[in-house]
Amino acid sequence: MLATDHAAVELRGVTKDYGRGQARVRALDGVDVDFPTGSWTAVMGPSGSGKSTLLHCAAGLERADTGQVVLRGTEITRAPDAALTELRRADIGFVFQNFNLIGSLTAEQNVALPLRLAGVRVSKREIRATLTSVGLGDRARHRPRELSGGQQQRVAIARAMVARPPVLFADEPTGALDSSSARVVLDLLREMVTDTGQTIVMVTHDPLAASSADSVLFLSDGRIVDRAARPSAKDVADMLAGLEDGERHGREA
Amino acid sequence: MVRLSWSGFRERWQLFVGAILSVAVGVALVQASLQIMAAAGDPPIPEGLDPLEEAQIRDNYDGAATLMGIAMVIAAFLAIFIVSSTFAFAVAQRRRDLALLRVLGARRRQLRRLLLCEGVLLGLCGAALGFPVGFAAVRIQRWLLTELEFLPDGFATPWAGWHTAVAAGTGLVVALLGVLAASRRAAKVRPLEALLDTGRAGRMMTLPRWIFGLLMLASSVGLFTAARSEGADTDVAVATSMGLAITGGLALSMLSPLVVPLAGRVLGLLGAVSAVGRLAEANLRDGVRRSAATAAPLIVLVALLLGLAGSLGSLAVAAGEEQQQMIDGDLIVESTGARTEKLASLDGVAVVSSQISVPMIVTITVDIGDPEELEEEVFSSGIVAVEPDAYRRTHRQEALAGSLDELSGSAIAVTTSPGYRVDLGTTVTARVLEQVSEREFSPTVVAVLPETLSGSDGILVPMDLFTPEERANWPAHAVVQLEPHADPDQVVEAIRSADLGVTRSVEEWASAQTAEQQDENVGVLVVLMGLSGLYAAMAVVNAVVISSAERKREFATARVTGLTRQQVVRSALIEAWAVTAIGVCLGGVIVAGTMTGIAGGIERTLGAAVVDVPWELAGAVAGGAFVVITVATWASVRAATRIAPIALVSARE
Repeated sequence: MLATDHAAVELRGVTKDYGRGQARVRALDGVDVDFPTGSWTAVMGPSGSGKSTLLHCAAGLERADTGQVVLRGTEITRAPDAALTELRRADIGFVFQNFNLIGSLTAEQNVALPLRLAGVRVSKREIRATLTSVGLGDRARHRPRELSGGQQQRVAIARAMVARPPVLFADEPTGALDSSSARVVLDLLREMVTDTGQTIVMVTHDPLAASSADSVLFLSDGRIVDRAARPSAKDVADMLAGLEDGERHGREA
Repeated sequence: MVRLSWSGFRERWQLFVGAILSVAVGVALVQASLQIMAAAGDPPIPEGLDPLEEAQIRDNYDGAATLMGIAMVIAAFLAIFIVSSTFAFAVAQRRRDLALLRVLGARRRQLRRLLLCEGVLLGLCGAALGFPVGFAAVRIQRWLLTELEFLPDGFATPWAGWHTAVAAGTGLVVALLGVLAASRRAAKVRPLEALLDTGRAGRMMTLPRWIFGLLMLASSVGLFTAARSEGADTDVAVATSMGLAITGGLALSMLSPLVVPLAGRVLGLLGAVSAVGRLAEANLRDGVRRSAATAAPLIVLVALLLGLAGSLGSLAVAAGEEQQQMIDGDLIVESTGARTEKLASLDGVAVVSSQISVPMIVTITVDIGDPEELEEEVFSSGIVAVEPDAYRRTHRQEALAGSLDELSGSAIAVTTSPGYRVDLGTTVTARVLEQVSEREFSPTVVAVLPETLSGSDGILVPMDLFTPEERANWPAHAVVQLEPHADPDQVVEAIRSADLGVTRSVEEWASAQTAEQQDENVGVLVVLMGLSGLYAAMAVVNAVVISSAERKREFATARVTGLTRQQVVRSALIEAWAVTAIGVCLGGVIVAGTMTGIAGGIERTLGAAVVDVPWELAGAVAGGAFVVITVATWASVRAATRIAPIALVSARE
């Protein structure tokens, strides 16, 4: 099913600037990186290091100024809006820090939404099964505001799972959760990688979350400065602290 | 998609209440107006009326139908305006949700359809609600039109199914037109906005808004220049200035996101001493969408209502002034044909010019500028029989062509009009419409008179066309010139004791005519503009309620920062008052332009710049606006600050 000879997502020499003239800031500075198919990569870095921009560019939500982004074999940097929409329907899922559920819809309606938008007929059973798999089989008819933060994030993950998108982009998925809810969410993400071979690109601040991933990328000033395979949470925390110190010294010097 | 629309609609029903109500009122008014128009279009004419009375009744029915037609169009347009501003809010509030849908794979077209579906739902709700309201509306309008004497007492307006069908259809179309711009804007929301923490509010000054606003501004400047130009007489000045009231109001309301904060800055320089006041001033400039949405309907209302009232009022005053300038006499006696003819025999009276209103229909074939086509103009009022010599001695009026000297025998003098041209020597058809003396004859045009502002005495016929018996009971007024040394009081007393009529000075008579004209203006304005006022109030309340609900978290933040609930309410009130003042003042700028334009035209025509600034109405509008906005702000901010602030500040969306 997957084009295994490609990485799921590739970035080649991607740069991205914000602002003009004096206020110009380089958010990404010639980033080259592969996200292999069926892997889970965490992207870390101090605030303003460009990790969110990396995620946005990789997912086609922002256009890179220069360089190429190839998503499952398709070059998306110059793709028109309609093509990007098709991509979001078939190939990409999202999980956000603040859950981003539609408040007026029930949990099951939220989960079914991506398929409905794509015009795919979905059975209630399938939706219920997905909700059950995230442990919320009995909450199908609840609206988001009737659920806890952890439960809302699990609904959001069910929404990202239901269409089985090959690539899932997660933006601080545990950022708003307590540690036990975070654990549940991370376990669910792991299942997606091992059971269905999905690729996850996750931006996070949380060393514990990052240590659940297969590898961790470290960004600083828009460049990839380090990469670690299956580090422990403590290793991640130390590396991040080192980067933040480095930036601080850099600024003071 | 329909389900998504429905759930979004249900979730945000408070947001849509104002829009639903305005569609409902629109639907009700369309239904009521159709009912009245249908009934007045084929009116029951009582048996046994003479042709003149019948013609006048038909005229009144036509007037009622025209008025209803205009009211209907105004209602539909204003409803579109409110629906579109409501949906502009709705889209602004939901950018994040809309962006999320895009992230989840929605096409632009789907978002557009989502909004259009909501528009349809809104239209359906409005139509359903408007249907029963329509029956109340038809009573109110019938009552108003009866009060204004357009309709006779007991006028029946039977209901028919198609009235409701057309009204409901209009409701749907109005809702869809209103949502169109918002749906386009929704389709432009970028998916990325779902991931950004601070949803970037959409630009207020969109390209179509710029284009339309500047176009209206340019038209306004053009109209003002035209009104002030040398060649513009009163007619031109009034027409262009009334246009200016409309285009100017629209221009400033379109450009309100620019103009209102600017005016807020000026206001900020004047006030803002306390912390609460400074917060209010900062909020006014920061909440551009909110202040602009509140001020825009006020600008349009003030410009339209006061601009039109001022124009019509000034025209009436100018007509009175013109009458005074034109009439060369000491007294005006209102009476009947037979009695005015006896005035000449009183001591101290030098000249009497009787103007006897003739119950006659005059049909003139006029040249409307098209050589292929001649048009018939029919006149049934303003036809007076005069003694040419006495008339000329008491009226400072020169014929444009021909002469009043020749007004004898089968002759007629007519007034020109901007719409057509009458040539000397034209033969017209005149039909006297009194049962005793019904007859027809064909006088020839011997004089063409200049148009007057009042439009009275538009057609003159010689007295000797009618027998004294015929003239005896026709209503008349006479202009009386006294002997150089006569005592006016004695003459007035003599007229009173001989029971020859009601005597007034020329000035009194002219101002009575002015007052009568103004009363009629007020009636028409009440029907048309009362409606606009209602809509403006709904739009303002709508904007206030929606934006207060939107500011729950902002208010909560202010309270955890140390403001009391009272201070939050006070700050919101100060802001609302400032916005009201700005809206009223900006509307006032347009009204000032309108009045200046009219004053110029009147000055060029009459040599004196007489204008009627509708101060009382201005006071009522400004006062009403302040009351409505104060109540709406107070109630909605109280409601928005009911929950403990900490619950809102810590809550996630």
